[in-house]
Amino acid sequence: MRCNYCEKRCQIEQGKTGYCRMYTVDENGVRERFPHRWSACGTSRIESFPFYHAYPGTRSMTIGTASCNFRCRYCSNAYIAKEDPEVLQGRMYVFSPAKVMDTAKKLGCHNIVFNVNEPTVSIPSLLELGDLAKSAGLPMGCLTNGYATEESIELLASIFSFFNVSLKGLSADFNKRYIGIDSSSPVLRNIRRLAQDRHVEVTTPVIQGTNDNEIDAIADFLESVDAEIPWHVFRLLPEDEMKGAEYPNIRAIDAALRFVRMRLPYVYFHNFVGSEWVNTRCPACGSVVIERFSLGCGGDRLNRFLCEGKSCPRCHQEIRLMIDEAQRNTEEAHS
Amino acid sequence: MSITVLDAREWQTVLDLRTGEKVESTGPLVDTVKGVLQRHPYPGDMDRASNRWVTDTALDLMEGYRPRFVFLTYAAQYFSGRYNAMTKKQRAEILSEAFLEAERFIDASGFTGIVMGTGNMTPLQGIIDVTEIDGLAISTHWSARYAGLYGPGPDDLKFLNEHPRIERIIPRDAVCGLFGGTSEQSLRVPEYLMLAREGYAFRTISGAMKVPVMIPALNFAVPVHAPGRVVEAITDIRGIIERDLAKHKIALIVMEGVGLEEFPLSHVPCRNGKEWFYYEPGDGQYLTVSTGEHRFYDYPTGYKYFDELDSTKDYPFSGFFTSIPQGTFASGFAGKSIAVGNKSMFMHMVTGADIAIECFARNLYNQGTMAVIHREDKL
Repeated sequence: MRCNYCEKRCQIEQGKTGYCRMYTVDENGVRERFPHRWSACGTSRIESFPFYHAYPGTRSMTIGTASCNFRCRYCSNAYIAKEDPEVLQGRMYVFSPAKVMDTAKKLGCHNIVFNVNEPTVSIPSLLELGDLAKSAGLPMGCLTNGYATEESIELLASIFSFFNVSLKGLSADFNKRYIGIDSSSPVLRNIRRLAQDRHVEVTTPVIQGTNDNEIDAIADFLESVDAEIPWHVFRLLPEDEMKGAEYPNIRAIDAALRFVRMRLPYVYFHNFVGSEWVNTRCPACGSVVIERFSLGCGGDRLNRFLCEGKSCPRCHQEIRLMIDEAQRNTEEAHS
Repeated sequence: MSITVLDAREWQTVLDLRTGEKVESTGPLVDTVKGVLQRHPYPGDMDRASNRWVTDTALDLMEGYRPRFVFLTYAAQYFSGRYNAMTKKQRAEILSEAFLEAERFIDASGFTGIVMGTGNMTPLQGIIDVTEIDGLAISTHWSARYAGLYGPGPDDLKFLNEHPRIERIIPRDAVCGLFGGTSEQSLRVPEYLMLAREGYAFRTISGAMKVPVMIPALNFAVPVHAPGRVVEAITDIRGIIERDLAKHKIALIVMEGVGLEEFPLSHVPCRNGKEWFYYEPGDGQYLTVSTGEHRFYDYPTGYKYFDELDSTKDYPFSGFFTSIPQGTFASGFAGKSIAVGNKSMFMHMVTGADIAIECFARNLYNQGTMAVIHREDKL
């Protein structure tokens, strides 16, 4: 039977597994092997994922499961994403959706973000959690590689209201050698789809000498979808199979982004400590409207939120933001 | 104003430590520090060259600053053993290398060394899963022995009190009774502090998937090498340094994850806490050494750290610190002082040294290095 959750569309025999090892086949069809098993269930600031334009400054519950449908050579969570998920089960949190929600409440979280691995490998569990979160008024977001099928992206869109899609590169050669997929076309298709009615941010890890020549082409693509999509250009942190590789040169990548910033208003360059390119500027007057710090590697945080609602306090230009009244309730949430 | 220089390899930025704002700061000391960071990129917590980085960086910094007091931390043996199984031979090798690095520093600098180990490590025998309770359990600072407990129901307390791997559960009042302190300080202390038996570690919400191989042992006493001096507790170390600095240049060297069982230098066992409480390797232990008084309250183990991570927090590059701790020896020392370490981004807070250089690694991911210049007036 064919698994149609992601574009790998694995042919799975009864009792066997596909590429991600998270689904199997029984008499009822494709089913999840490890439902409601979580590799993370803690707190983070939303900027750390990163989401820069969704609920700034809020406390999020971070969740994840195991495995992935990609095999990125530079995976920073390889011990979860590349490990056989069966091996990890003894260490997972076995939490029902109600328990996850209860924990989020106890931790004072405003929202839930799936970020450790790829949500497409755990869609049935996430659908159940999503239903409860929706009825409790807790927004859910995710980081995804965007390689879901057209059917699955609709399921993900029904669970999550905000997405950060990792667009790792465009060329077939890069995707084959570094990611383990044939083409980025499904990812591009899904970004277009999600941008229609969901909040979308995009992240691209840049490897100098490998995909930095695609910066302009990726910018072209984003501009064609929606120029206001926030774009996080990451300096690659050499990890996993690329440990030992050179750290990309910050000045060189910044220079490559100079012209991109003229046509895309929300371009950020970070994933290294002390980055100077993490503030949001008003696209109209250039004023800084949101200040952040970058501690590198998932440590970003809000410094000052200067907008008036969703507008620039100086020229009143609307800033691309997903916020709600409940978001500015940190004291309430923490009490 | 304390200035921080961040180095992310081939790129540096200079910030106000308190606000995190970029500052245009120049001068001979800033240039010296920038040069040292540029010449010594951090190899990474799990790299065997990590301890060599401490010695090389310290000696280079001393060329430009000429301190009288040096505070060093060597931690490669702690990180390597914590998550990777090592044979006895491998463990012996990495320990030997760590002490050789300390010796290399002493030989090259001519300083008198006072060397302390932060305590033995012991194999993890099992975990204590406290994620299923109705209340909330919190572990902080990579702690194995302690976890804070909040809002437990009667069933929780029964379950936890009967748990064979939990040594005892201590209510907040009893914790505060041990350390004294103000009512404001006690607010950070968990409602209950849970103590694991030796070899066991708590598993709480926010726990990582990486399971430790070795965890801190029951270290009610830790080794201190200070020939000819009387040291009974880690709170005595500060007094010795103060007295000896009148005669010698002193290097206080902390060897992470080394206890009485493995310490190769002549030493005396020193009390590492009070009654049932002992310090695990971390900021509380360092502050106790550098101030000469127990510093349980600054960021008590098991506290709800996430309640303090508001967006307006000062010292954004200093972990959970929201102010510079008062009373550290080096901050009041009239002579010049430096600190270099590869344990965490807290040397600049816990040592009080004029200049501190440390690795900037988060959860073992190597981001680069960080220097903090607290004092420029002594150059």
